[in-house]
Amino acid sequence: MGVDSEVPDKPLIRPDYRHVYPVGIILIVLIGVALGVRHWLIPETFGQFGFYRGAALEDARDHGMSYVGGAACAECHGDIVAIHDKDAHGGVPCETCHGPGTRHIRDNDITMPVPATREDCLVCHRKLDARPGSFPQVDWQEHFRFLGVADTNTACVQCHSAHEPLFMDRDMRKARLHPLIHQCGDCHLGRTDPTTPRPDSHPQIFQCDYCHPAIAASRDKTSHKKVACSTCHMFVRENSFSGRIVRNADPRFCLLCHRRTPFKSPAGPPMIEWPGHIKDVAGETPDAKRSCTDCHQDNIHDMPTKVKGVPHAL
Amino acid sequence: MHCDSAMSRREMLRRLVAGASGCLLVSVLPSLAGESEKNSKGRKPLYAYAVDTARCIGCCACMRACKAENEVPDGRFRTWIERYRVRANGEVLVDAVIDDGFVFKDDKVPDAVKAFFVPKLCNHCEKSACSQVCPVGATYTSPEGVVLVDQKRCIGCGYCVQACPYGTRYIHPVKHVADKCTLCYHRIMRGMQPACVQSCPRGVRIFGDLNDPESQISMALKQRRFRLLKPEMGTHPRCYYLDLDNEVI
Amino acid sequence: MNYLFPNELHVTWTVMIVLYPYITGLVAGAFIVSSLFHVFGVRELKPIARFSLASAFVFLLFAPLPLLVHLGRPERAFNIMITPHFTSAMAGFGYIYTSYLIVVALEVWFVMRGDLIARAKGTGLAALICRLTVLFNYKDTDATREADHRIAKFLAGLGIPMACTLHGYVGFLFGSLKANPWWSTPLMFIIFIFSAIVSGISVLIFHYFVVSWINRWKVDETCVRTMGRFLWGFMIVAVSLELLELLSIFYEQTDKTEVLSSLIHTKLFISYVVLQFGVFSLVPFLFLAVHALFKVSQRTAHALIWTSATMLLVQVLLMRWNVVVGGQLVSKSMRGFTDYFPGLWEKEGLITAGVIFTAPFIILYIFHNIIHLFPGVEKKT
Repeated sequence: MGVDSEVPDKPLIRPDYRHVYPVGIILIVLIGVALGVRHWLIPETFGQFGFYRGAALEDARDHGMSYVGGAACAECHGDIVAIHDKDAHGGVPCETCHGPGTRHIRDNDITMPVPATREDCLVCHRKLDARPGSFPQVDWQEHFRFLGVADTNTACVQCHSAHEPLFMDRDMRKARLHPLIHQCGDCHLGRTDPTTPRPDSHPQIFQCDYCHPAIAASRDKTSHKKVACSTCHMFVRENSFSGRIVRNADPRFCLLCHRRTPFKSPAGPPMIEWPGHIKDVAGETPDAKRSCTDCHQDNIHDMPTKVKGVPHAL
Repeated sequence: MHCDSAMSRREMLRRLVAGASGCLLVSVLPSLAGESEKNSKGRKPLYAYAVDTARCIGCCACMRACKAENEVPDGRFRTWIERYRVRANGEVLVDAVIDDGFVFKDDKVPDAVKAFFVPKLCNHCEKSACSQVCPVGATYTSPEGVVLVDQKRCIGCGYCVQACPYGTRYIHPVKHVADKCTLCYHRIMRGMQPACVQSCPRGVRIFGDLNDPESQISMALKQRRFRLLKPEMGTHPRCYYLDLDNEVI
Repeated sequence: MNYLFPNELHVTWTVMIVLYPYITGLVAGAFIVSSLFHVFGVRELKPIARFSLASAFVFLLFAPLPLLVHLGRPERAFNIMITPHFTSAMAGFGYIYTSYLIVVALEVWFVMRGDLIARAKGTGLAALICRLTVLFNYKDTDATREADHRIAKFLAGLGIPMACTLHGYVGFLFGSLKANPWWSTPLMFIIFIFSAIVSGISVLIFHYFVVSWINRWKVDETCVRTMGRFLWGFMIVAVSLELLELLSIFYEQTDKTEVLSSLIHTKLFISYVVLQFGVFSLVPFLFLAVHALFKVSQRTAHALIWTSATMLLVQVLLMRWNVVVGGQLVSKSMRGFTDYFPGLWEKEGLITAGVIFTAPFIILYIFHNIIHLFPGVEKKT
């Protein structure tokens, strides 16, 4: 029978606690030992900087690095880096496309991947609604159609070198300050048709023909009327009111559209061989560094190039 | 202290002072040993992060870089990109790419009127909920302001994963401990940038020292409008989202 | 559109974490019943007092098991006692559990010392265990009984706040988590305690009837009626608190109302609305109301009470499930839900849960064979 059977009218009994003492002693000893063991088990550096193991900071630092940074690439590949830094991809780190470089630096026989398929370029340059309107992005099928590229297996790098995609010189000393130019894509997502008439309530935006009406009019009379001004005169936005305008007279830039290649069809822009074209047409020595605008100004737009101080003076 | 009367008071005083200075020096030494590098202003660095959401193109190079640099397991993310598309009727569609090499492809919402990308990562909160709820002191804030996990101490209870309002923590499926963005602590303590910052082709991610008024991040916070995520949680995140839209939670 | 933060696809706190508060709830409830007799002198509960204490003890022994199965690093489980971070509600677990275990173990020892000594005088393994347990001190007089009684009463009283802390801290652990919209409420602590008491009383009633039926004992009429009334009262409070929380979510119309409303109407509709409230709260409420307010025959009363107890056992388990798992189904992006099914044979699956839950009942059976847990029962005539 246990102690839970009470008999209320029994006389008061003096309790005998002697059997409790061993229990109490065992309890105290166990608790004492436990606290002692606990103290011994606390890691040495615990509490050094806060409620954590101080040595954990060292553990966190102790990790290998996969990415080395572009400065390491330039040590051996300085020539490529010099070209790359001047062109449109100048802000794109080497390892963003080529992957981490640690293993290649340690053992040069391990080669870096070269992403050269169309999908590799479309990761950044596929036209998506969520991409900022000012960022260069294409619907590749539409792009191929405009340029007359017939072979759908063509990769972007067959025209655009990844290190020198536009033959554009970003050197800011050569690029002029220019007020902000708005593009439809800045506000309108998706397909924007520049020929759609603007309603009267449309906000006043700066487009090229606002300040340069004569030039725009002269372009509209040439075969380049389908080419947007910003294609050759790349505008790089710097802040909310201005940016830099880069004019691209490098013949290799014109050749992006006009060079004859096996994968293009006659449906696109007129195509030539370069620099053979100079001999073929003008009978002069083929010089790859001649600028197309030497002869073809009338095909593009009014370019008063011989007048000093004018934007197009060469 | 012996009671030899031969020792003069001066001698005793000299010994006491020497002993006290010795003790003081010894007590200071450990903190000197663990002291972080001072920045150019002579102050300890306080690291913070900023995300320029206006410039993100959703290429996810940062996700790939983080995964490679930190061996992040499949199906778990230390950072990710969210895409927001606001339709003409006001409905907001949010998605993220978490497989297939992290590439945004489809664009099948025909009537989107506003769309943008938002990178997300651990906010390295000043009053982080995760370090408050860790029962064993395995999650902590380093002297430089980086919230880290002591993977040798963590018991894998998962309380911190529940407590984080931003969903940036996970239990590592192989190590069975909590894991999250470390701001590439192993890189920043060597003067380098976190892998995500370094790999971004558009300069969207900004990392720097808030205690240096001329650092890129200090300048960005002085010049641009920014917002914190879930400020009502009181976690005081140290990750600032520049030009952040109201739809982003 | 269903959007979750990428790390939220996996549910971290599994059915093990549903089981842990359920078991500590049974402990707390059973202990409260035992203490109602030992401390507050509710004589009607005398037949069940010893059994409830033993139940509390055995379930308490098994309480850490689901946690150990869940921990990513169970070998480091003692870190929670070596470097407890007391800003965390979970850090209290190590010391609260250990000290409460000591209190309950000691109370069992003092309450059953007489029987242990009697059993120690026999032969066999059980007798040896009893001899060790009483520390080879076989003195059993009225004086020692009086000492045992006083200490047991003290421990029973001390144990009440400790039981409330042991179970309440779990509720606080959930309720204090501001990041989770389904869990975050100051009421969670008190909801857990009251539903724990409901589950504790229910498991005692359930077990008492089953054991009596198997052994052909007569159940003590006043005892079960008293327990039935206590159960009715406590369940009204528990369910009211749960409904109050729902009411405040829907009335206040804060940013979390929309996503929680969607959670209740889609993911949790069956388990929460239909089962937890619709069936397993409403029906026991009505049954116990009938039993408490109207005169019914003994057989009807027994049927009503036992059915209600069984249903309430399920209700409390459902409540734990809907809180623990339900809260993790909601994304912190407030824009989507994930899914969870525990799986059958996984480490944290249903089989493991079943084993952990049934093991205490088996141990209680063994306990009963060593020390009789229902003193003074009569056979049914």
